[in-house]
Amino acid sequence: MEKELPRHADLVDERLVYWHFMAALIFMGASMLGGLLMALQLLRLNPFSGIELLSPGRWRMIHTNAIAYGFIANAFLGGLQWIVPRLTLHKVYNPKIPGLNIGLSWAIFWAWQLVVTATAVGLLLGQAQAVEWGETPIWIDPVAQLGLLLVAINYIPPIAKVEGPLYVSLWYFLAAFVWTFLTYAMGNFMPQYFVTGTAAGAVGGLFIHDLVGLFVTPLGWGLMYYFVPILLKKPIWSHGLSLVGFWGLAFFYPLQGIHHFLYTPIPMFLQYGAVISTIALELVVASVIFNFHATLRGSTGALTTNLPIRWFYSGMFYYFLTCLQCAFQVTLTFQQLIHFSDWVVGHAHMVMFGVFIMWQLGMMTYLIPRLLKTPWYSQRLLEWHYWLSFVGIGLMSFDLIILGIFQGLSWSSLLPWEHSLDLSIPFWAVRTVAGLLMIAGYLVFVVNVVQTYLTSRPAPQKAAVATA
Amino acid sequence: MLESKVGVLFIAGIGFFGLAFLSNALVPALMYRDLPEQTVEQLLRNNGNLRFQFEDLARRFPDSFTAAYGHPPEGAAEREKWLDTWSQHALQLGHDVYVGEACWHCHSQFVRPVSNEDRRFGPVSKTEEYQNVLQRPVLFGTRRVGPDLSREGGRRSNDWHAVHFFKPTILSIGSPMPEYPWLFNGAADKPNAKGLALITYVQWLGSWLESYPYYEDYQPSPIHGLAEKGKDQK
Amino acid sequence: MNPAINQPSRTSRAQVLTTIGFALLILVPSVLGFANKFREFILLSRGEVDGVFAITPVVNYLLASLGFFCLFFWAIYHGMFRDIEAPKFTMLENERKLDEEE
Repeated sequence: MEKELPRHADLVDERLVYWHFMAALIFMGASMLGGLLMALQLLRLNPFSGIELLSPGRWRMIHTNAIAYGFIANAFLGGLQWIVPRLTLHKVYNPKIPGLNIGLSWAIFWAWQLVVTATAVGLLLGQAQAVEWGETPIWIDPVAQLGLLLVAINYIPPIAKVEGPLYVSLWYFLAAFVWTFLTYAMGNFMPQYFVTGTAAGAVGGLFIHDLVGLFVTPLGWGLMYYFVPILLKKPIWSHGLSLVGFWGLAFFYPLQGIHHFLYTPIPMFLQYGAVISTIALELVVASVIFNFHATLRGSTGALTTNLPIRWFYSGMFYYFLTCLQCAFQVTLTFQQLIHFSDWVVGHAHMVMFGVFIMWQLGMMTYLIPRLLKTPWYSQRLLEWHYWLSFVGIGLMSFDLIILGIFQGLSWSSLLPWEHSLDLSIPFWAVRTVAGLLMIAGYLVFVVNVVQTYLTSRPAPQKAAVATA
Repeated sequence: MLESKVGVLFIAGIGFFGLAFLSNALVPALMYRDLPEQTVEQLLRNNGNLRFQFEDLARRFPDSFTAAYGHPPEGAAEREKWLDTWSQHALQLGHDVYVGEACWHCHSQFVRPVSNEDRRFGPVSKTEEYQNVLQRPVLFGTRRVGPDLSREGGRRSNDWHAVHFFKPTILSIGSPMPEYPWLFNGAADKPNAKGLALITYVQWLGSWLESYPYYEDYQPSPIHGLAEKGKDQK
Repeated sequence: MNPAINQPSRTSRAQVLTTIGFALLILVPSVLGFANKFREFILLSRGEVDGVFAITPVVNYLLASLGFFCLFFWAIYHGMFRDIEAPKFTMLENERKLDEEE
């Protein structure tokens, strides 16, 4: 036990963490532009109407892909580069790449930026693959797959070296490396080369679902189980309960994908299975949420004083809401009404932004000053970023969820199609405003990061003056 | 790892995982031996509805049609073969445009058995309809900003579609659908090869059903030599 | 183990009957229900095209779950859950030391 602890500087490549975060923020900008363009198109206010490379349809795909693979994946990779070595006390594998003068970690960084950029270019040129969340053109799919394999090769060895029981975050990470690899392969290759028709629909549903559940969710909870205890400076309430959450996810998640395609020609037998297993998962979710709130007990004040903690628990608040919503919307009764409507869009935004992106922004809020060894340029701007994002996503989700109900009612009552569009306009206008709030929050954050970066560097003029 | 009995469990765990993954691809492939995936060629064989629409495009947009596909050959048999080839080509290209322009993000392709959908759109979708190469990956869709398109073919004329793709608001006032002028050479009556292909694809949707509606009556084919044949059929 | 606990003790008749009663109460409907579902499943899989690929995801799910079971027991045998609350303290301790050195 009295082993010499390795030093932080030897464990973590801080520059890499920082650059992953910066890449993530750049792609987030692209994604937000895509979302804004589509929102304006729905309001018939598209200023670039009729320009091929600014087609809202193509930018809608960039919107989802840039956020999933550009922002979320980059932020996770940066986070992993920080967390895994610190939790395991072992360096990531990071062997030198023969022929190149860089290690594996940096190779993954560049490969991943290449994949996401190539995806965006491919989508703009109209080469999408008809898999939702996997529109990456088919010629990039193998490169992305290779990248995911390298990620697993890079991060599994330090975890495997740990002796004794694993901390729950590491369980989640291990599972995520394997699952993401398999999920990506399943979603992008099977419907393209192996299965067709409704069977492929089942696979597609599984992919949409597992991408959130087996790539984003385990990594996200891994982050939470790491950052929340160290920020609150006390252990998680029950490590045993957290492991129940982990294994519950493993057992109940896989069959659920079909709940995205209820009432399709997929056999009812499977649709029922998906519904039941989804509801079972809600119990698992409840156990995780309970655990975190029990941890917070006695330190509730941190919500006001500690900004990252506030980001994290706001994310969990939305997580609970989406999961609760999920338990309802997955039932066949609800599906009759809300399938194909903006309810689903509201749900997706609440999960992706309200939960996972909030967590990652909280992580950045905590880590960026540590990486730059400089306090934040402005605490006020950070507060603005938080409130604009929190209010923006809440407004957008609730607006779209309510709209979904109206749309469903309009459609099923056989009113003319235009009726559903007319009633959507005010809601879509509110959604655009909410989106602009989130974009404003993003810009505030970017300004803050840039200013902090500039302060962290020794100013050249001053240095020059000093020497003169 | 292998020296302990416990190691076996570990290997087995990973193994089962891999097996599950493999069976995901293999089992449907094996089970669908009886229901083979249809190629574009098989889809269009004896599909009079699509042929009708394709020839109709030639009648309405003669210049665009010639620019995209050239002149038909002389002999009747060759002409038939020529039409077969180009209608298949157009259908495939139209599918690619449909996917590339993300049409499938705002238009679904299946009719559910609930919420009066069969009354709005047409017959409820069946598994067999998706067992073809143009549903690879399947285009069910998850969102309807615009209506379902799986029974859209034949409901509207080719002219309508051309104008609608060029500038949707001309025909559907207040439509939030984007404009697609790059599928045309400057005007709504001059669709380019991609535009013609996309119209062909949309007219194909539902063309395999008995209930394919004809928005407009059959007109003799403008393609020389097919007009007589068309009259015979009528 | 404490030998005193291992002493064969006489269970009362009532206890045995209650246990059997509860077991029957739970097992019989479950077995019937499961058998019925299983029969439906087999019929479905033998039926038309629709039923055929019903098997795929079910088989996949069972295989994947079996995999997880194996891994779960592997983890148990490796003592991953023996001192189940320990890692959360170790982790905080390491974090503190790493920060101190910085």
